[in-house]
Amino acid sequence: MRLVRPSSCAATVLRPSWFFLLPLFLLTSVLTAADSAAGPAAPAGRVVTSEVPSFELDIQPILTKAGCNTGPCHGKQRGQNGFQLSLLGFDSDFDYQQIIEGGRGRRVFPGSPDSSLLLQKAVAAVPHGGGKRFDIDSPFYQQLRQWIAAGAPRRRPNEPRLVGIRLAQGQFILAAGETARLRVEAEYDDGSRRDVTHLADYLSNDAVVVAVDEHGKLIAGPLPGETAVMARFRNQIDVAQVVIPFRTRQDPEVYNALPRNNFIDELVLAKMQRAGVSPSPPAPDHVFLRRVYQDLIGRNPSVEEARRFLSDPSQDKKQRLIDDLLERPEYAEYWANQWADLLRPNPYRVGIKAVLNYDQWIRQQFRDDVPYDEFVRRLITARGSTWRNGAVTLFRDRRSADEQATLVSQLFLGIRLECAKCHHHPFERWSQTDFYQFAAFFADVGYKGTGLSPPISGGEEIVVVRRGGKVQHPRTGETLVARPLFGPMTGDRSATASSEEGDLRERLWEWMTDAANPYFAQVHANRLWAALMQRGLVEPVDDLRATNPPSNPELLAALGDYLREHDFRQKELLRAIAASQVYSLSSAPTTDNIADRINYSRHYRHRLRGEVLLDAIADFTETPHRFSGMPEGSRATEIWTHRIGSQFLDTFGRPDANQDPPCERSGESTVRQTLHLMNSPEIDQRTRASGGRAARLAASPLSEEAIVEDLYLAAFSRFPTPEEQSNGVQWIRRAGDRRREAIEDLMWALLNAPEFFIQN
Amino acid sequence: MKNRQVDRVSRRDCLQLGLTGLLAGGLAGGLRARQTATANTTDRQADACILIWMDGGPSHYETFDPKPEAPLEIRGQFRSLPTKTPGVHFSQLMTSLSRISNKLAVVRSICHNQGNHGAGNHYMMTGAPPRIPVGCGAYVSFHPSLGSVAAKLLGAPHGIPPYFSLPRMSRSGGPNFLGAKYAPFVVSDDPNSKSFRVPDVTLPASIAEGRFSDRQQLRREVDRLQRLAHAAAGDPVAAVDEFYQQGLQLITSPEAQAAFDIHREPDSVRERYGRHPFGQRALLARRLVAAGVPFITLYEGGWDHHENLFDRFEEKVPRFESTVAALIEDLDAQGMLERTLVVALGEFGRTPKINARGGRDHWSNAMSVLFAGGGTPGGLVVGATDRQGYAPVERILAPENFVSTVYRKLGIDPGQILYTPEGRPTHLVSDATPIAELMA
Repeated sequence: MRLVRPSSCAATVLRPSWFFLLPLFLLTSVLTAADSAAGPAAPAGRVVTSEVPSFELDIQPILTKAGCNTGPCHGKQRGQNGFQLSLLGFDSDFDYQQIIEGGRGRRVFPGSPDSSLLLQKAVAAVPHGGGKRFDIDSPFYQQLRQWIAAGAPRRRPNEPRLVGIRLAQGQFILAAGETARLRVEAEYDDGSRRDVTHLADYLSNDAVVVAVDEHGKLIAGPLPGETAVMARFRNQIDVAQVVIPFRTRQDPEVYNALPRNNFIDELVLAKMQRAGVSPSPPAPDHVFLRRVYQDLIGRNPSVEEARRFLSDPSQDKKQRLIDDLLERPEYAEYWANQWADLLRPNPYRVGIKAVLNYDQWIRQQFRDDVPYDEFVRRLITARGSTWRNGAVTLFRDRRSADEQATLVSQLFLGIRLECAKCHHHPFERWSQTDFYQFAAFFADVGYKGTGLSPPISGGEEIVVVRRGGKVQHPRTGETLVARPLFGPMTGDRSATASSEEGDLRERLWEWMTDAANPYFAQVHANRLWAALMQRGLVEPVDDLRATNPPSNPELLAALGDYLREHDFRQKELLRAIAASQVYSLSSAPTTDNIADRINYSRHYRHRLRGEVLLDAIADFTETPHRFSGMPEGSRATEIWTHRIGSQFLDTFGRPDANQDPPCERSGESTVRQTLHLMNSPEIDQRTRASGGRAARLAASPLSEEAIVEDLYLAAFSRFPTPEEQSNGVQWIRRAGDRRREAIEDLMWALLNAPEFFIQN
Repeated sequence: MKNRQVDRVSRRDCLQLGLTGLLAGGLAGGLRARQTATANTTDRQADACILIWMDGGPSHYETFDPKPEAPLEIRGQFRSLPTKTPGVHFSQLMTSLSRISNKLAVVRSICHNQGNHGAGNHYMMTGAPPRIPVGCGAYVSFHPSLGSVAAKLLGAPHGIPPYFSLPRMSRSGGPNFLGAKYAPFVVSDDPNSKSFRVPDVTLPASIAEGRFSDRQQLRREVDRLQRLAHAAAGDPVAAVDEFYQQGLQLITSPEAQAAFDIHREPDSVRERYGRHPFGQRALLARRLVAAGVPFITLYEGGWDHHENLFDRFEEKVPRFESTVAALIEDLDAQGMLERTLVVALGEFGRTPKINARGGRDHWSNAMSVLFAGGGTPGGLVVGATDRQGYAPVERILAPENFVSTVYRKLGIDPGQILYTPEGRPTHLVSDATPIAELMA
């Protein structure tokens, strides 16, 4: 039994969007600097056989396809049995020298090509640990033989260079079990193209959803889903996105009839239509109310606020609420708390005073509503004293150009460069040279004053910019000039930046925020989207790899553009997301979106962030926090260091900056959390506190009905149903003079119910 | 009112939706036909496994695979140490373990191709390489971990969590698609501290038992949040429900309370394990095994010695290895070693050449893994690396073989197929061959 696909619709659907082409653009710009003398171009698609094969264009691809230079074989460090190749052939000079000069010259014999060890081993004519890689009568053998016979040249005259590869088709919609073929074309700097489908390698991001074989054949799995499939040829990659829709026959009218509030709804619905899922209905008002409070300002509405919103009959109340919330002081504290997760330095390294200054600096940016691009500028170009400018703590914590470069590229571009510190990453496009040229933007960062002296590090340090700093390639020792990861510098469009024009970090910032660089806006847009929608369009949110494509590329592009068009004012994008229809969908699934976890067809439930939950408990129980070193009544979102102890926050997960490497925040539920809510002394004391809500209500003249209503509004931001109301009233009445105890028990039950700590 | 409530089934809605749209394909049959994953008790060799996770990747040279013949820049500054087993040498600092080598088996020939922490952790903890490239700092999960599988298939006596991880979860030690129920119970508190107790597993002093059961009733009454019945929906409330049940069982289990009470151990025993957090965690692990827990991970970080390897080893290793030896000897003395498997490993070995900072870098081409108990023959070395420790040359083994060995010993068939909540079939281990020498 197979899903039936509409007959005329072949396995194709859409051309690759610009996003998939981006890597090609990037590499083009890097590589065109090389010699561009146009040689005799091979016509597109024709395999050149009359010419002498080229080492880089023909021979190395064969070695890669045959698996010779992989990690477990000759590609590993030290090689295999004395024969070493660079991993996946990224270093042509090294490989050439190994083949020609290594093995005491026995690997190639131009005079008698068939006796070459390279060929003899490959066809297992002599014992070979790797077995037979191809046959004597195969095209691979013939090409290798031809090359050796021609004297095994390093290069042909005027040989073109590979500048990119492109999948003929970048998006596929397949039925379960259906197959399709990838076709890969290589593009050279002389304008020629060539079909390299038979030479490329393929990798599926999730082979149980869609598998791919060595010939580029896609095989859809048995269930709906989607994933990306990468094709790699030499150091070039392209990615196809493959969707197995939930339903293939879905009446377009279903989608056309759905309400749309803004561009976000258009793009989300378009993707839902492609994936064959339909949206859940809108959530009830009280669910929206609680959700938007938690997501925009990190707290629940008060009893009065909830009552007011729920009783407000006006049409525009949601929009007004969103606008109000964005102007609340809690907004700044909540978003600063989220940024602190990303930036928080280890206090044992940088000293507690620097940690405090850094935290205060971050908070001030959000209180002043500094646009995102300016926030980043102040941070990455920070200079001055750690006692005066909190932002320089970034440079106190990250002390070398390579550490600064990896942090900045990951946080603000979504590009993870760590791998490229040591080698050309096989799944990314960054080489070691790319990395250290990028790091060279931080070459001039210097320090004065007291450096780190763990565990105390209390002294003042001044971050300065001094010309003439150097970043060297770790292997070649060459001093590298600052050069962006792709494209030219902003302004004069030069390829590199020089410190003679001032702080190199300013130039880096200009390039990062240039309209031609989509990463800067998109990584932040993705982060904001994930904060409200519970899942990034790209996951992890700061990993915008070509091999990790967004689930909805058009939407990510549009969100990034929106942020840029609104001058990087984060509130504007948050406003647009919160005002969309999709934001307010119910979490309750329909039959055809129950298994959808990536198209936003329903709201995805999640446990509240530790700080938000702890504040919610303080508000509900009317017991202020008492954190060490902070004024009574401070909120958990205002905590400025993890050294302020809280067993609650430790249990509910907060990243510990003292760990090296720092732990990521975990949003998972655990049995420890359940036990903590049930039994911990802290929750017990808060529920029963003499100044708390239970005590106040018990002592008040309020009727039992009013008390139950208050508790439900405070706990769940909604009125109790008539049944809940009467159950609660009976419970309290039955307790007689133990009225306070009964209210305490009811409060314990409410805050231990999932409706309290799971966002619905 | 109370009686009325008792009689009432939980009041909340449960949204029962089939996967009609989803299962129009060929999987519906597959789902119906799917069998419950099982453990086999007949050829089970061990009832429990204590996995000592040396996070960061310990050097194989300075632990169990010294290369005294290699040049100085490879062999390093430690001597090799003869063990109780004729012809077998460990590295200089492994003094206690070398004295009990007759109870140990060392596999020197495991290798893989995942040279960063995120990926190496995942491969060794789950037996599956990460599906897509992951970075060094990554905490990834594509497949259920050893401990979570053991928790699901072996279970534990009523009220006691079947999988512990002390003092934290290892990066890829989670349940993945098996569901939150099989996540490890993490005890982060330090059992070496005088005031150690597992927090929140007893009722607050102010709350009498009767009042607590009233509260349970009341919670059932107010808990109306709709559940999304199908596992494919990924409803976090499902996990919460599991944890609530586990939590209730735990606080009402005297066996669990007793297992946690390390203060019942005589001082002499506590001394033998070492009066430091790792030592007392190892002792706690033994108590948990005795209470019927089938899988315990002892996470011990700090093995990522990119610099000053030898100084750091001298600080760290004597304590560490004497605790491991004490654990094995104590299990033996209690008659528990025969049915308790102890393994110690990290994510990979370390580079042959000592780097400029006096450290060794990541090296997944060779690593050593320690085994003891659970029917493992003692005084055994499996496999060998070349003369300079670059790569295995005898009995070349993969993480799959390691994981399959642990599963086999626990009576779990590593070749079985598990199903994800969506119904996708997944091999537990792609190569289900255990290391035959260890199976005796």
